Amino acid sequence: MTGSELTRAGAPASYGVTELAQLPRLGGLLAKGATGSVGKRPGGGVRLPEVAYQVADVDTAGEAAHLAAYLRLLGEPASEVLPAGFLHVLAFPLATAVMVRGDFPLPLLGMVHLRNTARVLRSVRLGETLAVRAWAQDARAHRRGVQVDLVAEVLVGGELAYRGVSTYLAKGFTASGGAAPADETSREEWTAPLPTARWRLGGGTGRAYAAVSGDQNPIHTSSLGAKAFGFPRTIAHGMYTAARALAEVGPARRGEKYEWAIEFFKPVLLPSTVDVAIRYADEVSTSSTNGGASTGERGFVYDGWRSGKNTRHFRGTVTPL
Amino acid sequence: MSTTPSPVPSTREAVIIGGNRIPFSRAGKKYVRTSNQDMFTTALEGLVARFGLQGERLGEVAGGAVLKHSKNFNLVRESVLGSSLSPTTPAYDVQQACATGLEAAIAVTNKIKLGQIESAIAGGTDTVSDAPIVVSDRLRAALLDFNHARTTGAKLKALAAIRPKDLAPATPGTGEPRTHLSMGEHQAVTTAKWAISREAQDEVAYNSHQNLARAWESGFFDDLVTPFKGLTRDDNLRPDTSLEKLARLKPVFGAKLGQAATMTAGNSTPLTDGASAVLFSSRAWAEERDLPVLAKFVDAETAAVDFVHGHEGLLMAPAAAVPRLLARNGLTLDDIDFFEIHEAFASTVLTTLAAWEDEEYCRTELGLDGALGKIDRGKLNVNGSSLAAGHPFAATGGRIIATAAKLVAAKAAETGRPARALISVCAAGGLGAVAVIESS
Repeated sequence: MTGSELTRAGAPASYGVTELAQLPRLGGLLAKGATGSVGKRPGGGVRLPEVAYQVADVDTAGEAAHLAAYLRLLGEPASEVLPAGFLHVLAFPLATAVMVRGDFPLPLLGMVHLRNTARVLRSVRLGETLAVRAWAQDARAHRRGVQVDLVAEVLVGGELAYRGVSTYLAKGFTASGGAAPADETSREEWTAPLPTARWRLGGGTGRAYAAVSGDQNPIHTSSLGAKAFGFPRTIAHGMYTAARALAEVGPARRGEKYEWAIEFFKPVLLPSTVDVAIRYADEVSTSSTNGGASTGERGFVYDGWRSGKNTRHFRGTVTPL
Repeated sequence: MSTTPSPVPSTREAVIIGGNRIPFSRAGKKYVRTSNQDMFTTALEGLVARFGLQGERLGEVAGGAVLKHSKNFNLVRESVLGSSLSPTTPAYDVQQACATGLEAAIAVTNKIKLGQIESAIAGGTDTVSDAPIVVSDRLRAALLDFNHARTTGAKLKALAAIRPKDLAPATPGTGEPRTHLSMGEHQAVTTAKWAISREAQDEVAYNSHQNLARAWESGFFDDLVTPFKGLTRDDNLRPDTSLEKLARLKPVFGAKLGQAATMTAGNSTPLTDGASAVLFSSRAWAEERDLPVLAKFVDAETAAVDFVHGHEGLLMAPAAAVPRLLARNGLTLDDIDFFEIHEAFASTVLTTLAAWEDEEYCRTELGLDGALGKIDRGKLNVNGSSLAAGHPFAATGGRIIATAAKLVAAKAAETGRPARALISVCAAGGLGAVAVIESS
């Protein structure tokens, strides 16, 4: 993810803006996405709808109980400042609305979350009125299909407060752009570092995060649903692991403005014990065997892997800006 | 990083008169269904009897327990009320994980030095066998909602939220709240970082058992321990253990770190029940009552390390506290006759010693000019420590202080020169407390 993608505000110039009166309800969208996914098959080159959805005045005053439940589940301290993970959750229905459009060429269900990068450029507090907008952009080749960025922005008083870029892979699709970029994360040999924490994730982890995020995707909430998509058991939401790492760094150390990124490798099958190393970036070896994430002077680098194995689940960063 | 320590302000002395504990017992054995209050009262009563303190109003009694039920909010005061000390003796509870006992001693000796009190007892108690068990967070939330509900409908709704799995009780663990790694797993990471060998750890454990057994045989503990519930010696002690036997044990911590695990049940401290108490006073108070003075409680230091994100090992705080304490008192490792380093794990002792011997570590982490130094292993835990005696968390500080006080007193009597002991206790939360005591 390039820095310019995160600091630029607004959708590409060619996009039209569709105003919605309120944030859509995720439940209905997921049902629509499930049925709509069936008809979306690999065809010619992928063309994204050039539209951004926007809700001009999202009132967060009523979100107190939702925020409290989110903070408690992820281990964030009680606060009226909305963490980046909560802003992601807040904007997720709007991004989903883009993906369930009839002219969005990729199937909502079955897409793989490859990475997520977000920046908080200004604290967003409970009670503030937000403008939220979301669109899809940059469909491009991946060695296993097409990857696409879903961008969500949150503005307060016209000022960009949050920008999140979620990159998804639709397997088997082809981009109009041609060959896959060469700089995709290498899958070379990786050796687990010494852990700094151990997460025991119970069988209900997916349902618990679904309850606060609204993401009731069956691969996270039901064994049958997971099996339907080729997983032996339910899998943890990638964003749960990312949000938990963000919480463990905590507000005091990430600061008011920060970047929060994660790259997902193998999914976390539930229940599972995940060993985690959340380390100061300048204390992490920068050798190439540790993967693609850069280790700057400041902030934190976090890795997650299956306890006792070399099955790597994720790597990410939390960097004060 | 390095700051010039301020000179120690001149105050009057706090002296150690003596100590008392009950034999430490492995969890689930002799002290089953014996409460913290039972154990601490017994330790206290033994101390009272030994020094004729019946009916005395002491300046203060301070102590605590790590695993403590909320109903024991005034555990130490309740123990005082159950003892033959004057009921006008004030008391308070302290909690600093495994450093509780030493921290209590630091607190009361400071009051003595300042002249706020003349006499005090510090100690601690812990039981794993009688540990409090709490309900799950979900059940707790439902029961609290039920209590707060005003209508029958709301009460029923609160109870309806309870799921069968919520009924499973939660037993206390040794997991760190922020990392969810147990203390043993944390130490396994530190052990791996410092590349401490299995053999070196087993040797520390072997020496601990040998030394403690010799101390018991020689009668060292005769005036330090009150038999309890049919137990007259620490029942974790294995005088017959050998390096061969220790070498056969399977590792219990660090099995998932991707390198050979070295920490076993033999070179790690078992969960233990027990209690201890130490009597301190001003020199005048001791002289007025014609009580023996074993040693002076000279000075103490606490430290904490940044362990959450792996910068430092969980149990390494004493490595930082000791150089600060020595510098403030104008001492070096060579000035110490006895090193009492709490054996949470054999490797805790070894990683601490390795850190002090490591020039780069001492420079970058401790702000010293070079390595703090190497200690003479012949001065280390000479009468055994927690690996052999066991480690009832809050009771360990009192055990060590009483042992160290007796050791320096005997050494000074033998040589005619002052003797010093350095006490070091690591604790959960990346904490550590250390102290220097000196023959009087």
